[in-house]
Amino acid sequence: MCADVDSDLAEEHEALTQFVYLAPAGLVQARSDGEIVMINPFAAQLMMPLAHDGDLSNLFTALEDIAPDLRSRLAAFAAPQGVVCDGVHLLAPGRGKGGRRLFSFSLIKLDDNLIMAMLQDVTAQAQRERLLRHQEIWLTAILTGVSDYALIDLDAHGCVTEWNESIGRVTGHGAEVVGRSLGVFYPADAITPDRVLDRLHEAEFSGWSLDDGWRLRADGKRFWGSAMIAPQRALEGGNALAAAFASSDKNGYCLIIRDMSGHRDAAAEARNAAVCDHLTGIGNRRAFFDAAETELRRWRRLPRPLTLVLIDADHFKKINDTHGHPVGDAVLRHIARLMGATFRQVDVVARVGGEEFAVLLPSADLAAAQRVAERLRAAIEAQPTQTDAGPVACTVSIGIAAMDEATPSVEALLKRADEALYAAKHSGRNRVCGPAMAPVEAG
Amino acid sequence: MNTTVTLEFSQPDLLDPLLALSAVELDALEFGVIGMDADTKVCDYNTLEAKLAGLSKERVIGHPLFTMVAPCMNNFMVAHRFEEAAAAGQPLDLTLDYVLTLRMRPAKVKMRLLASPGADRRFVLINRKP
Repeated sequence: MCADVDSDLAEEHEALTQFVYLAPAGLVQARSDGEIVMINPFAAQLMMPLAHDGDLSNLFTALEDIAPDLRSRLAAFAAPQGVVCDGVHLLAPGRGKGGRRLFSFSLIKLDDNLIMAMLQDVTAQAQRERLLRHQEIWLTAILTGVSDYALIDLDAHGCVTEWNESIGRVTGHGAEVVGRSLGVFYPADAITPDRVLDRLHEAEFSGWSLDDGWRLRADGKRFWGSAMIAPQRALEGGNALAAAFASSDKNGYCLIIRDMSGHRDAAAEARNAAVCDHLTGIGNRRAFFDAAETELRRWRRLPRPLTLVLIDADHFKKINDTHGHPVGDAVLRHIARLMGATFRQVDVVARVGGEEFAVLLPSADLAAAQRVAERLRAAIEAQPTQTDAGPVACTVSIGIAAMDEATPSVEALLKRADEALYAAKHSGRNRVCGPAMAPVEAG
Repeated sequence: MNTTVTLEFSQPDLLDPLLALSAVELDALEFGVIGMDADTKVCDYNTLEAKLAGLSKERVIGHPLFTMVAPCMNNFMVAHRFEEAAAAGQPLDLTLDYVLTLRMRPAKVKMRLLASPGADRRFVLINRKP
């Protein structure tokens, strides 16, 4: 009998010991001078990196660096027992590879001689709370000064997963939009399937992807808007915006389309001025190189067709000399206008030199680039510039190059397109040349 | 029943002689021995370790060391070292200063971590002697 009771007690004691060993919270019992009487493994784990020489004999000493006032707090606590502090946040330096940690610390006075402390690592909770606050700030910033916005859930491939009222309001789409790619909200030539994936990847990588431009309603009308894509998952310690739209859908994205009609503010105007060619209104050199760098980066991550079309007005100096600079300028504007009408919105169209233009065509191979270049060449030949001095004819020569492994930079790609352009010029002008291709006959 | 075990906590090349010992022989050692398999499940727990930790062998053997037995070692100083060595296919023999909370009393110890890619058991040895 007696032996049974003893063994039961021993068994129970052992179970209790293990219970405290495994408790996922730091527990410490100490004398009122801080001398540790009992400490469980979790508390030791949290405190060991803080304590000098790993000395855990005294609670106050071990926590001195992050809570130097514990002794005086306890001394100032007059009541015979009670809570000295409850969930005070203590910032601890990082250990190993980790960053700084945030502890929650509670101290309870049991009597004049004994105290208990509880220590928890609340770094992750604190991060979540901070992200929630960020979410509020972001949403406020997003929704201020905007005519309206649509909040759209996307799956991992960028397809709309469900309809809601805001989609109907801003885009005019009904439930039939479910399952369609986010490209449905862009004018047909303003985005490609590749670009959709680029945007999703960029959202994944940097937390969000934002672009301003024309958006398309279901009825075909355009409106000026911005589209922001953010991954729908809470990144631990990651980007605020990414987590701001966190939901249970693990691999999806959230798309916010804001209707900015009437809100193209001074900042946007200034930005436009910085990237637009003053004479022709299309992109300038800087815009071209910025966009080209981005495209090359995307290409390196995921090679897919990318072509560069380089366009040069033929005998332009003669036009200037014969008709004067104002007519020359009108010809350049005319070419730029025809370029705008010929290429897609997703293409980067820019004036990169005096009478030289460049177009970057994402997701277009050499054959496709050649077709559209030929269309431009023919249009320019067929439509002389209407000027005060009457119609002025002009032709262009065009060189094409495709991005490949051997092309290390934007400059290298331009150089290859320039070689093709030189070939076009050399073989008689008013024609399109590709790499090692026979010139395409005019007309 | 005088066994002739003479293994010392700090002697070099300790892993192979340890692997050769029976459970009874491990019990005779003057330092704590925790052996675990490739899945971190405890397979050796000598008497000294059981006595000092206040946990019986039966309660410990067969359970994952770092989650069910000694969560205080589930960190970059101990558990992570075993993972690193295993991932790199490298042997591990490292002695470090540590604080254990055996029966909730903080105690400074020397801890020695032993593993080898070829061995099916890995060891955490604990020496309480100053």
